[in-house]
Amino acid sequence: MSSGFEGISAMILNGVEIRDSFAEAFPMAGTRLIITADTPRWARTAAASLTGFATSVIGCGCEAAIERELPAAQTPDGRPGMSVLIFAMSLKDLKKVVPLRVGQCVLTSPTSACYAGLEGGAAVPLGRALRYFGDGHQIAKSIESRRFWRLPVMEGEFVCDEIVGSTTGAVGGGNFLILARSRAAALAAAEAAVEAMGRVEGAVMPFPGGVVRSGSKVGGKYAGMIASTNDAYCPTLRGAVPSALPPEVESVLEIVIDGLTEGDVAASMRAGISAVCALGAPAGVVAVDAGNYGGNLGPFHFKLRELMAPVAGGSIA
Amino acid sequence: MSSHRLIPRAPLAARVDLTGITPAALAGLAAGEVARLGVPFGAGTVPLGDLFHVEPEAGDILLLGGDPRLDFVGAGLASGEIVVDGPVGVHAGSGMSGGRLVVRGDAGDDLAAGLEGGRIEVTGSAGANVGGARPGDRQGMTGGAVRVAGAVGRRLGARLRGGLILVGGDAGPQAADGLIAGTLAVAGALGAGAGRGMKRGTLLLASPPTSLAPGFVDAGPQDFIMLALLARRVPELAALFGGRLSQRANRLVGNRLAGGEGEVLVLQ
Repeated sequence: MSSGFEGISAMILNGVEIRDSFAEAFPMAGTRLIITADTPRWARTAAASLTGFATSVIGCGCEAAIERELPAAQTPDGRPGMSVLIFAMSLKDLKKVVPLRVGQCVLTSPTSACYAGLEGGAAVPLGRALRYFGDGHQIAKSIESRRFWRLPVMEGEFVCDEIVGSTTGAVGGGNFLILARSRAAALAAAEAAVEAMGRVEGAVMPFPGGVVRSGSKVGGKYAGMIASTNDAYCPTLRGAVPSALPPEVESVLEIVIDGLTEGDVAASMRAGISAVCALGAPAGVVAVDAGNYGGNLGPFHFKLRELMAPVAGGSIA
Repeated sequence: MSSHRLIPRAPLAARVDLTGITPAALAGLAAGEVARLGVPFGAGTVPLGDLFHVEPEAGDILLLGGDPRLDFVGAGLASGEIVVDGPVGVHAGSGMSGGRLVVRGDAGDDLAAGLEGGRIEVTGSAGANVGGARPGDRQGMTGGAVRVAGAVGRRLGARLRGGLILVGGDAGPQAADGLIAGTLAVAGALGAGAGRGMKRGTLLLASPPTSLAPGFVDAGPQDFIMLALLARRVPELAALFGGRLSQRANRLVGNRLAGGEGEVLVLQ
C-alpha cells in the first residue's frame, strides 16, 4: 500500500482517505452458542434460522450472526457445528432472547444440538428454560456439576446445556463507512471487508450479509422515530442538506460490528478497513469514515486513524 | 504444605473408624500430635499411634496403608487427597463432598454411600451398596464420580440421586434398585433383578442384561447424541467401554411398575 500526503494532516492508504473520525460504541451483554448437527448443511440451517431477523436491537430484540463454522473435532459432541454470537442491550434481555431463539429455531431444526460457547459470567438459561417442552419426559444429566438436558422429540432427542455463560463487557455499534465512486464499487469493497472480518473471532456483523445500506442517525423530524436516514451521507441529498460527501462519492455503505470484547471489535474494524484499502482508489473507494454521536453517549471510541496506524506504518502526515 | 503417612503396625484385630482423618484435619499437626488422636477401635477408642506408624510425608496427599478392617476411610472428605495402598473396609468415601480418594486395592460394602462430590477411584473390587444410602438416609449418593476397576457387589447405586459410577467388571444382583437419578455404567455382566423401582436415571451397559426386574419396556435402538457428548466430556466413560461407546444403544424404559421413566441403555 502506498501512502501519500494531502493537506495539513491526512492518512491515505492506497488512495483511500482514512478520515479523522471515530466510531462510538456501547456496552452490551453477549454470549456465544455452539450449534451442532449431523451434517454441516443442517448446522448452518439452524444457525441461519436462529440469527435471522436479528439485525438491530431497535426492532429485533437482539443482534446476532454466525461467527464461524466449526469442524466436527472442535465441537462438544464431535459433530459438524457453527458458532453464533448473540448480543442484547442488557443481561435481562439476553436471558429472554437466547432461550426464545434456540427454542424456535434450533430445537426445531433436524438433528441439532445446542451448547454453551462461553463460560463464566451470569448464567443465561438454555435447557433450564426449554426443558418444559419435554412435557415431563425430559431428562437431565449432571456430570461434574455441569448439567445438560435431553428432550424427547419426534426425530430422536434434542440435547442442550442447561445454561450458557455471558459477558457484560461486550461492545456493540463498532462501525465504518465506505465512501465510493459508485454503488458497485461500494458493494465490492463491502464484500471484501466482510470476507476479511469473517476470519476475526469474537466479532460479528449483524446486518444483512454484514452490510447496512441505510445507515441511520439518531431521531428525526417525526415524533417517535428512534432513527432515521443519515442524510449527511445520502448522495442524492448532497447540496440540499449539509453533506459529509465530496462530489466524487456516489454511494456509501456501512458495516456495523458487535464483539464480545472491545479488542475483538477493534480487530474486526482493522481487518475490514484494511480489506477496503487493499482494493483502494483503483477500485473506486474514496474514503473511510465512521459514525458517532459526538462522543458523549457511548463509552467506546474506535478512532479510525489509531486503528489503522499500524497498517499505515506510521504514515500519518 | 506437608502431610502424613499412616501404616498399620499389624493386621487390625478389630474394626477402626477413620471418620474425620483427612488432610484438612491433620494439616499443621506434627506426627506426634497425629499419633495422639483417638479413633474408635472395636468397642473402645485408642490413639492412632497405637495402631499406625505415623510419619511426616512431603506433599499434600495423606497416605494410608490398607487393611480390610479400616472403615470410613475418607468419610466426610471435603478437599485434598487420600491415597490408600491396599484394601479398605466399609463406608469408604461415605458422605464425601470434595477432594479425591484413591484405593489401590479392594473396598468393602457401602463405598461412596451418601457421596455428594469429589472423586473416588478403586483399582480392585467393591462390595455391596456402592453409591447407596447411609443408614438413616432416604437417598443415596447425590453427586461426584466413582470408578471401580473391578467388580461390585449387589445393590449398585441403590436409591442413587445423582453423580456417576463407573464399574469396569461385573455388577451383582439388584443394581439400580430404586434409582432416582444419576448414571451407572457397567462394562461387565449385570446381575439379575436390576432396576426394581427405578424412577429415573441411566444404567449404561456394554451387553444385554440376562434379566432385569419386571417393569421395563423396549423402546428400541436409537443413535443418542447424548452418548457422543458424554464420551467426550467424560473420557473415562469412553475408556470404560474400550472404544465401543458409539452413539447407538437400545433403550429400555422403566421401571413402569413404579411409574418411572429411567432408562437402561444397552450399547450396540
